[in-house]
Amino acid sequence: MSTLHEFHYRLPHRVGGWRPGSHPGSSLGGGQEFVTHQRLYDRPDPRRLDIRASLRDLRGEWLVRVNRQRASIPVHVVADVSASMSFGVHRPKLHVVADFVDALGTSAYRAGDSLGMYAFDRRERLDLFVPALVSRGVASIMSAALRTCTGGAGGIEGLQAVSQHLAGRQGLIFLASDFHWPLERLGAVLDLLTHAFVVPMVVWSSAETRPPEEDSLALLQDAETGAQRTVWLRPKLRAEWRQAIERRREQLEHIFTARGLRPFYLGDEFNSEALSKYFLEVAA
Amino acid sequence: MSGSFDFQYPWMLLLLPLALLPFFPVRRDVLAFAWLNLLPEDRLGRAMGFLWRLIGAAAIAAIVLALAGPGHPETQQLRVGRGAEILVLMDRSRSMDERMMPSDWRTLDPTVRLYHLSRGPQKARVARDVLAKFVAQRPNDRFSLMFFSTRPLNVVPFTQHDATIQAAITAGEVGRGIGDTDVGRAMLAAIDSFAPRTYSGSRIILLVSDGGTHLDDRTRERIREGLRRQRIALYWIYLRSYNAPSLDSDDPKLEAIGEVALHRFFKTLDTPYRNYQADSPEDIAQAVADVGRQQNLPLDYYERIPREDYSKHFLLAAALACVVLLGFRLMLLRSWE
Repeated sequence: MSTLHEFHYRLPHRVGGWRPGSHPGSSLGGGQEFVTHQRLYDRPDPRRLDIRASLRDLRGEWLVRVNRQRASIPVHVVADVSASMSFGVHRPKLHVVADFVDALGTSAYRAGDSLGMYAFDRRERLDLFVPALVSRGVASIMSAALRTCTGGAGGIEGLQAVSQHLAGRQGLIFLASDFHWPLERLGAVLDLLTHAFVVPMVVWSSAETRPPEEDSLALLQDAETGAQRTVWLRPKLRAEWRQAIERRREQLEHIFTARGLRPFYLGDEFNSEALSKYFLEVAA
Repeated sequence: MSGSFDFQYPWMLLLLPLALLPFFPVRRDVLAFAWLNLLPEDRLGRAMGFLWRLIGAAAIAAIVLALAGPGHPETQQLRVGRGAEILVLMDRSRSMDERMMPSDWRTLDPTVRLYHLSRGPQKARVARDVLAKFVAQRPNDRFSLMFFSTRPLNVVPFTQHDATIQAAITAGEVGRGIGDTDVGRAMLAAIDSFAPRTYSGSRIILLVSDGGTHLDDRTRERIREGLRRQRIALYWIYLRSYNAPSLDSDDPKLEAIGEVALHRFFKTLDTPYRNYQADSPEDIAQAVADVGRQQNLPLDYYERIPREDYSKHFLLAAALACVVLLGFRLMLLRSWE
């Protein structure tokens, strides 16, 4: 893990919570952000007596400054570990996700946020569950677990089960998956997670998005079902392949944008700068 | 030809279920893909994939069938021929390597005949040439070829395949003749070779020789009896050497000469006997043509048709299928990079 792989994230809205952190919070407390003055009787905190404001006050009351406290948030990684995530050109897509988790660990620790993980394939994978912790080493535990795990067939059912734990909670959720399952119920799952800021991370290897250039016969086996198909790669098929990917991308983006989300595409390598830029754009 | 079909090693067919192997979904050369439903429908590709497995199965099946040794079983077939069963009994003795008189010897001055002897062709060679022509002209006859000198040498049993006989006649050129001429043993062997055969038409022994021997009484009796029992006609083409006596002389003193004694014995046979004295190549040709004219009777016989092996066709099919599979393999996408 290199410290270079680090990104900065921020949320577009204020977060609740009393635990001090680095995100603009909605709770009042020890922060730099001035909100209002209150009478000393209402808020008996003589350390924050504002002499100037008290002198200016027509009623002669003693006024106390009230500030907003910056808060920390729980950050969760919801990782799809189904067999299709073990597919990849040079290395499995799960390893790319693990790289991202490593970078996230550093970033979250610096921001003072707690970091946890839920994993799913067709059902929730409790063996890969990591509760939200503020710890420097938690990310490496998570990424090691992701690199070594073997998943079964994937499905939306696992994500549904995981979303029950996170429903109605604030925070930041990275939903890392290749979304290689029917998308009908994805909208309902995302609706459960509206209180949190969800970053859908679409993990697609370049082998999926770009058909091989040479004309050949491809004998393909589905990573999840084991079904085999022969595909004759030729210009017509390549065009259809690209169209199919584009159609899938449109379907996904339609679901996400309807809920104010923007997907982040993860290719063969994790690019931390691109993710920083993503947050700059989203939370601008 | 009937459509019957059998296998030499039928138990090999137990391996035939191996041909289903290509249809099992366990293959080493597949590439994993994340989600096949993502890909566009490709009916042509599916058809190619199925064809690939089908050809693989066909290759295995063809190899198994070839191992089982399919073929057309050995049969016997009744054939009807016009002509005779002719056994050519040919002298292979040293004297047959000598030369004949040239064809114009009758016009030459008797004092220089000896000198002209070296111009003539070899007796054996002329006999072979004429016999070859004779065999070629008579496709319906069944021939057998037997050489003899000190002992008989059965070269080709009775057959109607001209090529075989021609090859056997040509083979007579190899090497040089051997010492002695034992006509008695050769005649008995020739008669014996007719014995296991059913009588189906006229039978001839065509003795091509330039010499004879004295036969003892026992041999004479066996020859006489054998020819009679097997109903064989005897034709003797006598290749007369220079200075050899004419066979037809009545001089009792000539009985001491082997050829004359043999001729006189043959004349006493109950079965047909004909003698041709040949001094020159033309005479031999004349004699052979004479034989051809005389024997032209219908002839029934069974021919053994050997087993015909089809396994090489199956192996060829398997090889072709393997070539196609190789083509598929060369087209295969090996990796995603």
